[in-house]
Amino acid sequence: MNDRKDDSIDFGYQKVARSEKKNLVANVFQSVASKYDVMNDLMSFGIHRLWKRYTIDCSGVRKGMKVLDIAGGTGDLTAQFSRRVGPEGEVVLADINDAMLKVGRDKLRDRGVVGNVRYVQADAEELPFDDNTFDVITIAFGLRNVTDKGKALSSMLRVLKPGGRLLILEFSKPVSATLNQVYDFYSFNILPKMGQVVANDADSYQYLAESIRMHPDQDTLKSMMETAGYEKVDYQNMTGGVVALHRGYKF
Amino acid sequence: MTLLPLLPTVLFEKLANSLLKKDAQSSERLRRLAGKRVRLKLKELPFTTTVSVDEAGIYISTADSDDVDCCISTELGVLPELQDTANLTRLIKADQLDIDGDPMLAQQLVGLFKSLEVDWEAELANTLGDAPAHWFMKLWHKSRSHVEKRLEESKRWFRGVVTDEKQLLPTREEFNEFKDNMQQLRAKVERLQRQFGERKS
Repeated sequence: MNDRKDDSIDFGYQKVARSEKKNLVANVFQSVASKYDVMNDLMSFGIHRLWKRYTIDCSGVRKGMKVLDIAGGTGDLTAQFSRRVGPEGEVVLADINDAMLKVGRDKLRDRGVVGNVRYVQADAEELPFDDNTFDVITIAFGLRNVTDKGKALSSMLRVLKPGGRLLILEFSKPVSATLNQVYDFYSFNILPKMGQVVANDADSYQYLAESIRMHPDQDTLKSMMETAGYEKVDYQNMTGGVVALHRGYKF
Repeated sequence: MTLLPLLPTVLFEKLANSLLKKDAQSSERLRRLAGKRVRLKLKELPFTTTVSVDEAGIYISTADSDDVDCCISTELGVLPELQDTANLTRLIKADQLDIDGDPMLAQQLVGLFKSLEVDWEAELANTLGDAPAHWFMKLWHKSRSHVEKRLEESKRWFRGVVTDEKQLLPTREEFNEFKDNMQQLRAKVERLQRQFGERKS
């Protein structure tokens, strides 16, 4: 939230130097890459598949479109986009983390998702694509790890075609106080232990819980998108606001 | 609420696509409908369902608000009647159906599944082996014809009881006679109404 105010920035609940955050986040994902899918299923009880499916349904993706899946990780969204854009279209799976990109590429190739998928190691803040390239851009569970969110939103707007849409799927703030308490207990007491048992890494999942709490809430992110230049911005809460899907257009 | 309709939708889509894959003719039928989109709005449901077709199968979405080729607004109970095109005009006049776009598209979409010809014995043989699959299908056909036969017998027995023995319902002949009388009566009433109207003017 304090993206540009000073030289330090949140890394979970810690304050770290702005220049350090990328490496620290990279270490987290380097550590969890191989167990990422298993942990996602365990942590969300499989509901992350429905969150992602809903994102696809809201994307308005059609045959022949160009899609950019930023922080695409292990390629869950890319696999579905690839089928929908067909051979005339293209999906670019971009991730800043090499380990995640490799896991995603191997997984998709094993599933036969080839031909219209390109893999690019890229920083969301400085996307290496021409202006007005993509019809749809998605970033699922990635924005909270970005150091300068405003810069990333502007970079995405630049590469989005006029008429194109950006979809941000991200953890958010539960709307009910009771759910918030249950969610807090789960995040700080159960999640790190699950991380320890399955991925042998409690710290990364402690960071996950903390980074979710430090991420802008629904309305703040909406106004950040509007400030970056997106139009008709709206959001939908899912699972009581545990996750929110923000959508904005470039006209 | 957002996710509630999603789970059955995803499951149904998976089932539909795996059924389509089991018939080699499906790809040709899908190719003819590729790119078409049909939306269904049911009064009883708080969400709309959009079906998009491409060469690989169908996609079902409850969050799609983009343009479609055909949008059908109706009620759950009316759906079976849509199979017969003869009913469409009557349902539209009765405000039970509203179609915006190509009305044939929905029927062509249903036709994708109606025209499926799946060799279930071959499908079963892939998992069970040839002999068990053949035995299972034989048993299935035998049980099915047995159940159908028993069902028909029960229906006949029930018809006999309510019409002949207990006389709770009229026989077919009595019903036809009643229908003829009703038609004659309706014709007489219409004639009288006409005569009354003429005298009045």
